[in-house]
Amino acid sequence: MNFVKNLTRGIIRENPTFVLVLGMCPTLAVTTSSINGMGMGLATMVVLIGSNVVISAMRKIIPDNIRIPAFVVIIASFVTIIGMLMKAYLPTLDAALGIYIPLIVVNCIILARAEAFAFSNSVVDSFADGLGMGLGFTLALTLLGSIREILGAGSIFGFTLFGVAYEPVLLMILPPGAFLTLGLMIGFINWKSKKKA
Amino acid sequence: MANSVKIDWKEVIKLGLILFAISAVAACLLALTNYVTAGTIKQLNLDTNTAARQQVLSEATDFQQVPADQLANIGTEIGLKNPGELVEAYVGTNNGNIVGYTVKTAPSKGYSGPVEMLTGITTDGVVQAIAILKQNETPGLGAKATLPEFKDQFNGKSALAEIIVVKSKPAEGSNEIQAITGATITSKAVTDGVNLANQIYQYQTQSK
Repeated sequence: MNFVKNLTRGIIRENPTFVLVLGMCPTLAVTTSSINGMGMGLATMVVLIGSNVVISAMRKIIPDNIRIPAFVVIIASFVTIIGMLMKAYLPTLDAALGIYIPLIVVNCIILARAEAFAFSNSVVDSFADGLGMGLGFTLALTLLGSIREILGAGSIFGFTLFGVAYEPVLLMILPPGAFLTLGLMIGFINWKSKKKA
Repeated sequence: MANSVKIDWKEVIKLGLILFAISAVAACLLALTNYVTAGTIKQLNLDTNTAARQQVLSEATDFQQVPADQLANIGTEIGLKNPGELVEAYVGTNNGNIVGYTVKTAPSKGYSGPVEMLTGITTDGVVQAIAILKQNETPGLGAKATLPEFKDQFNGKSALAEIIVVKSKPAEGSNEIQAITGATITSKAVTDGVNLANQIYQYQTQSK
């Protein structure tokens, strides 16, 4: 029961991108296409699950006063270890997702979930939270990437949609397109949830 | 100084030690992972490099590295401003005959740092193909330099003349490359890399 609740919370109600507005740097930078958004989302999810579990398991031995530096050390080491293992044993996966791994270190979702959830909840709940938040982040980034790719390149997941006659709105895959799409999406979701309430 | 803060040194030292312990464990784990994976990663990189050389100079069956100091000398001779841009060069042979050269360059003027790339030039002075090995360009824009649409434009260009980047469709048979829309800087950087490789080739063949 709790597991499911922790899992679904991150997907819609507390979506890290659209509702919590966390991890904006990678969100704005890599969502130039659907596949980039999805890659970043999935890589973040793996790291988030891992760091949530590790932090949660260690929450009894980390003193309150130094929890933030401890989190930073644990997360950075964890990400670096995943990066090295992937490079050595999963070279094809590394070729696809490797460029996102170093970006995850600076993603504040990881630190935010460690602080807000994993540090005060059990390992299983933290796992669910990481999975849910990761899925929510992946969905949001894939959605943003898809919108920008459709408008900015006339394709989705690399498949051309409109044929050669379509003149893509290049602005959409440039940085301003990221701000425009994200802003409008957040506005739309706020408007929707206000109407419900 | 009535309100002076009393520092609990015992607590400070205790916290410091705990943080030190966490960092020490993390450092040990990192060192261990590095120790286990470093060899495999190095081997994989070597394999990737060999595969890339094979790809840009398909006729060659064997590659001999040009000694680093000799290559550095060539760099100075042709007036290369930034020696870091010239990484390494190989002579490609087939049954002992030289069939071409591969030059690894790292043009520094990419949009976000240097672009590491390989250019294969055959002995008749033609760029056979290029490969982008490492880049950090904007996804969806500069990163398109790795796609065949852009990089295959270099195939068959003359290595004896300078390759020029243009924004419109280049004329047939010219030594021009069409820039990636919205990523002129990356396009220029990659072309710089090819031109540098070509200069090495020109020097190498003229000095013989």
